[in-house]
Amino acid sequence: MTMTVTTPPAPARGGLTDRQKDIVQKFAALGSLLVLIVVFSLSSGAFFTVNNGMTIALQVTSIALLGIGATCVIITGGIDLSVGSVLALSGVIAALAVKELGMPVPFAMMFGILTGAFCGLVNGILVTRLRLPPFIATLGMMLIARGVALQITGARAISGLGESFGVLGNGALFRVVTIADDGFPTVVFPGIPYPVILMAVIAVAVSLMLNRSVLGRHIYAVGSNSEAARLSGVDVAGVTRFTYVLSGALAGLTGCVLMSRLVTAQPNEGVMYELDAIASAVIGGTSLIGGVGTISGTFIGSFVIGILRNGLNMNGVSAFTQQIIIGLVILLTVWIDQLRNRK
Amino acid sequence: MPSGVIADGRIDAPPIRAAGETLLSLENICKEFPGVKALQGVHFNLRRGEVHAVCGENGAGKSTLMKIISGVYAPTSGRLVYKGQPCSFASPLEAEAVGIAIIHQELNLIPHLSVAENIYLAREPRRGFFVDRKALRANAKACLDRLGVAIDPDRLVRELSVAQCQMVEIAKALSLDAQVLIMDEPTSSLTEQETRLLFKVIHDLRASGVGIVYISHRLDEMAEIVDRVTVLRDGRYIATDDFAATSVDAIVARMVGRSLEEKFPERRARPTTDVILSARGLTRHRVFQDIDFDLYRGEILGFAGLMGAGRTEVARAIFGADTLDAGTVSLEGRVLDIRSPRDAIKAGLAYLSEDRKAQGLAVKMPVDANMTLANMEAVSNRFGVIDFTRHAEVAKEYIDLLSIKTPSPDQPVRLLSGGNQQKIIIGKWLFRQSRVLIFDEPTRGIDVGAKFAIYQIMDELAAKGIGVILISSELPEILGMTDRVAVFHHGRIAGVLETAATSQEEIMHFASGYGRPAGRG
Repeated sequence: MTMTVTTPPAPARGGLTDRQKDIVQKFAALGSLLVLIVVFSLSSGAFFTVNNGMTIALQVTSIALLGIGATCVIITGGIDLSVGSVLALSGVIAALAVKELGMPVPFAMMFGILTGAFCGLVNGILVTRLRLPPFIATLGMMLIARGVALQITGARAISGLGESFGVLGNGALFRVVTIADDGFPTVVFPGIPYPVILMAVIAVAVSLMLNRSVLGRHIYAVGSNSEAARLSGVDVAGVTRFTYVLSGALAGLTGCVLMSRLVTAQPNEGVMYELDAIASAVIGGTSLIGGVGTISGTFIGSFVIGILRNGLNMNGVSAFTQQIIIGLVILLTVWIDQLRNRK
Repeated sequence: MPSGVIADGRIDAPPIRAAGETLLSLENICKEFPGVKALQGVHFNLRRGEVHAVCGENGAGKSTLMKIISGVYAPTSGRLVYKGQPCSFASPLEAEAVGIAIIHQELNLIPHLSVAENIYLAREPRRGFFVDRKALRANAKACLDRLGVAIDPDRLVRELSVAQCQMVEIAKALSLDAQVLIMDEPTSSLTEQETRLLFKVIHDLRASGVGIVYISHRLDEMAEIVDRVTVLRDGRYIATDDFAATSVDAIVARMVGRSLEEKFPERRARPTTDVILSARGLTRHRVFQDIDFDLYRGEILGFAGLMGAGRTEVARAIFGADTLDAGTVSLEGRVLDIRSPRDAIKAGLAYLSEDRKAQGLAVKMPVDANMTLANMEAVSNRFGVIDFTRHAEVAKEYIDLLSIKTPSPDQPVRLLSGGNQQKIIIGKWLFRQSRVLIFDEPTRGIDVGAKFAIYQIMDELAAKGIGVILISSELPEILGMTDRVAVFHHGRIAGVLETAATSQEEIMHFASGYGRPAGRG
C-alpha cells in the first residue's frame, strides 16, 4: 500500500527494512559458506589445510574473475553468455602471439586480454547500437569466439610455450622453501599464488568502482531504471558498453591465467564457465532483473561453488552427483532471494 | 472456476429490484499489516444502481479497502455482507465468481491477444479440445455492444488506446456478470472525449442496476456521475454523504482534515520581459509542427491541450529525449545544439516526466542517490570518485529544503509517497542548477496536501528567475498556477493566452480546434 505523507514510511512487511534484509542475505550466504567449511573439515582431514586452502583459492579465481564481470553486466540488466568462449579465444591468441609472433609473454598476455575486451566491446555494440537482447548478442559471441578459437588452432592444443608462459598461473608470492641438509627442498609455505593476488586486487578495485565512483553509481542507475537514468543525463549506452568490455577483458585475463597454469593453450577450455560465473553472482544476491548486486556477494558465491566442488571431490563424490548438488544449491539460493523480494 | 465461499448458505439470484437496495456493505473493517494499521473501523455500503465514490489522500486506505472488497486481502476484523449474506473471499477469483469485479488503474490485459481472447481469457468457450472461435467472437461482440462501443473483437489489444483497453476491461467484467464494479482512477489517462464516453457507459451500467465503486483524484469530474461519496483519512472512516448535498471543498477539507482555503498558493513570482527560452519552428514529422513560443524569466508558462495534442512530445524533443526534424531552441539568446538529454542538462534544462516511476526515478536506489544522479560531477573528484561527506550534505540540504518526508536518505524511493517522490525529482534538478524546468503533469496521482507544496515550490522557482513550463491536463491547475498558457491542438499551438484574462471554456475551445486564428504571443 502507498504510504501517507504524514507518517514516515514503515518498514516493509515482515518488519525488516531493505537494508536489514540485505544484511541477512549476505550473512546467510556467508553462513552457508562457513557451514560448508566446517562439514568438509570434519569429513575429510585434508580439507582444512593451508595447501588445500590455496588450491581452492586457485580454483576459485577463474569463477570469481568471470563472476565479477558477470555481476557488473547483470546489474545493468544484461547478461554475458560469451565469457567461457572468450576466455578460450583470448588464451589461444596469447599463446599464438608467443609461439608464432615471438612476442614476449607479458605483451602476448596483454594482447590476449585486449582480445577479450574487444569481444566485450562487440557485445556492447550489439546490445546498445543494434539493440539486440543481451542474451542473443552474447549467445552469438559465445559461438563465434569458440569457433574462431578452434579454427585458428585447428582444434589442437598449443604447447611448448616455454617456462615464462607458466609464471602467471603457477608462480606464488612469499613462497618459502628451505633446502634441507640432504639437498632436497622443503616447502615451508606454499606462498600466495599470483592468480589469487590478481583476483583479490581486481575484486577490491571493481568493488570500489561500484560503490565509490560515479561510474559505479551510473551502472546501478542504468539497471534500476534505464529511461530515468537517460533523462538524468547518464550515458546509458556508454555505461552498458563499459560493463561488457569489463566482462570481456576479465574473461581474457581468466583465459591467460588458465592457459598459463597448464602452460598449454586449449581451444576447448572454459566450456560452460559462463554459467558458473552467473551462478556465483546469483548466489551472492545479484538480481537478474538488474539494479541489485555486490562484488562481495559474488565473491562469496564463487567460494560456495569452489568449496562445494573441492570438498565433494575430497569426499569422493562423483562429478555427476556434484552437478546435481550445485544445481540444487543455485535453485535454493535463488528461491531464498525470491522470498526476500516477495511483496 | 471456484465459487464464492458464502457463510450461512448460498445466494439465490434475486430478480433485479429497484435501485436503492443495498448490494454490499462493509461494517467496522480493520486491516493490519505488521507494524501498520491500514484500516481501522471503516464502514462502506453500496446500493444497486449507484456510483459511490471513495475519496482520500494517498495512503488513506482506499486501495486496501478495494483489495478487501475484491478478495485480495482478508480483513483482520469486521464484517463483509454481500446481498444480505455475510461472506469472506479467499481470492479475487471467488469475489469475481459472485459478481464483484475490479478494473485496475494499470490495466491487466495481454497485448498480444485479441480483444475477444482477452475478454474470455481462461474461460474460453470450447468445442472439445479446441477454442470455439465463433462463439468466442460472438460473445465478445455481444459484451462490447452492450457497452455501445465500436471495437472490433478481433483486434489485438496492443493496437488499442488506453480508453479502448478500459472498455475491454469493462466488457470483461460484464461478461462475468459483475454486479459490483470497482473502478480505480479510470479517467487518469483519458482525454476529455474519452472521459465523456466512459461516463456514458457508467450511466448505462448504473441504470441497469450495477453498483459502481469509483475511486478518483479528479474531484471536479465527480459531480457528473457520483451519487454518494465516502471519505477516508489515515485508514479511518470519516463520512459518507450524498454528493448533491456536499461540495468539492467540503470533501477536500475532510480528506486533508483541515479546511483548505485555497487549492493554489498565492503567486508571488512576477514574470520579467527577459526571454530565457525560445523555440522557433519546432517540428517532428507527424507529431507536431511549427511550434513557436517564448518563455520569460520568472514566468510559469502553461501547456494545455487534449492528450495526444503534442505537449509532452514537444517537451521531450526540447530536452533531447526525442529528435527534432526542424526548428531551433535557444536559451538566453544562445542557440542550443541538443542531441541527447545529456546535452540539454548541460545547457541548463530539466524535464520532470509525467511518469515518475518509469522515467523519473531509479526506484530501487535510495533517496540520496536519486537526488545527485543528474549532477554527480558536483559530488565527486576529477577521478570520478564520490565524496560521500559532500554527497550526504547535499542530500540533507535538499531533503530539508523541500521538506521531503523520509526516514533516512538511504530509503529506497519506491517506499515513499508520490508527493515525496516528485519532490526528490525536483531536488535532483535544483541541485543541478537548472535554469528552465519543464514539469509534465507534476501533480498526477499526488494527494491534495502534497500538491499544494509542489505548487509553492514552482512559484518559488519562478521567483528565483527560473523559467517554468507546466504541462497539465487539469485546467484549474493551469488557471491557478500559470502566467500564460499555450494551448495545443493537433500538434500545433492553437493560441497563447494570458491566464488572467482567460477561462476554462476559452482554453477548451482552443484545445478542441475551434479557436480564433492563432494569436501567437
